[in-house]
Amino acid sequence: MAELVRQTVYSIPLAATTKISLTEEQLVQGLKAQDTAAIKALYEQYSGALMGVIIRIIPIEEIAEDLLQDTFLRIWNSTRHYDPSKGRLFTWMMNIARNIAIDKYRSKDFRNGGKNQNIENNVDLINETNEVIFNADTLGIKEMVTKLKPEFNEVLEMVYFKGYTHVEAAEELSIPLGTVKTRIRMAIMELRKHFN
Amino acid sequence: MEEAKAYIESGILELYVLGQLDAPEQEEVERMATLHPEIRSEMAAIELAMEKYAMEKAVQPKPQLMNKILQQINAGETLAEPEFKEAVVTPLTADPAPKSLKPLQFALAACLALLAMSIFALYTTHSRLSDANQQLIVMRQDREKFAATVNFMKDENKDLQQINQITTDPTWAKVKLAGTQISPKASLMVYWHKEGKHVMLDNASMSLPENDKEHQYQLWAIVQGKPVDLGVFDADSRPKKVLLDMKAVGNAQAFAVTLEKRGGSPGPTMEKMVLISSI
Repeated sequence: MAELVRQTVYSIPLAATTKISLTEEQLVQGLKAQDTAAIKALYEQYSGALMGVIIRIIPIEEIAEDLLQDTFLRIWNSTRHYDPSKGRLFTWMMNIARNIAIDKYRSKDFRNGGKNQNIENNVDLINETNEVIFNADTLGIKEMVTKLKPEFNEVLEMVYFKGYTHVEAAEELSIPLGTVKTRIRMAIMELRKHFN
Repeated sequence: MEEAKAYIESGILELYVLGQLDAPEQEEVERMATLHPEIRSEMAAIELAMEKYAMEKAVQPKPQLMNKILQQINAGETLAEPEFKEAVVTPLTADPAPKSLKPLQFALAACLALLAMSIFALYTTHSRLSDANQQLIVMRQDREKFAATVNFMKDENKDLQQINQITTDPTWAKVKLAGTQISPKASLMVYWHKEGKHVMLDNASMSLPENDKEHQYQLWAIVQGKPVDLGVFDADSRPKKVLLDMKAVGNAQAFAVTLEKRGGSPGPTMEKMVLISSI
């Protein structure tokens, strides 16, 4: 399978701007075989999505990129611990990225750097600035999200993008934990409808 | 079936996908997913939705980051794996001390070292102080000795000068007492100022056997045939004074010295007469 990945990758000219797109199965096989072509393909497919979550938690581009680098190194070095039967590769990678970003956010050196603001403010800042510049094509999702009940979306955003745990979100919004779970589920149901 | 449906509707699968569950909860979800295919497919649908959501919210990093990552991978750099962290068994009663204790241990060692040095320094200082005090005492004694010596010499000098004056002064009578039969070698000089009724013994020229503690020599004046007590004195090889003032007498025919019991006697013991003079 490693051979297959290599062939797939090398069959595409280096100068080509087309994204290398492999199936998840191919990526996993390539990673497990420690094939650098696989990490390259992984990066091209998912770096933006992972950066999206990291920079919403740590809104300083330089640091966020360091953390993204750490994320990919950890993905590369922990591949053997990924079990496809337990879930999608992206879910696994996303949790690695989020944990690295949250660890950094809670770390002493980051907090002492004087650059930390309220986590919510950070995200607002990012939403207002970076997102528009970096990702103008999220307009579609924005429209969709506005259709969603704002209180449902709010909880999902906090947990998925802002580094809150669902317990912290419940405390922050002063709503019961059960309500948080329900709202997350409703928000994801809406997303599923939207994407299908 | 009902169980699976209720499980799905509990919202735990969403939390699983969002990485909100702890290890035992995760295992529970994974166990349920292997038992119920509908849970597995529900989970996959949630995952796919979240993946697409994240894709829509993507923020592109700088393009050159890819090369940095590849370089690090090729250089064999590793980042601590979270799995290893989780494998570390931390007891519930985990003692947070060891980390914070290390600098404290150093501090304790430093304190002990300091204490030992202080005790040593204190001991050294104390013994030096004792030495100094000892020396001070010795020096004070010396000083007192010198002072005493100086005083003695001053007195002696004064007395000698006085003797010198007396010998050239005709108003002073120089009475020489000679030894009797029981002490033929004894001799003593007495200076007597008749008008001033002043009698002095010259210790410097005294030659008498040393008296013991029970006895003292007593000087007598013979006035009209009767002995008159002029006081007692000691015959000392190292006398404290050169000139010894005795009791006054203005009219005496002779002087005599007897050995009496310490403090003197009201009358002379004639058989113990050691010196006699005639005027």
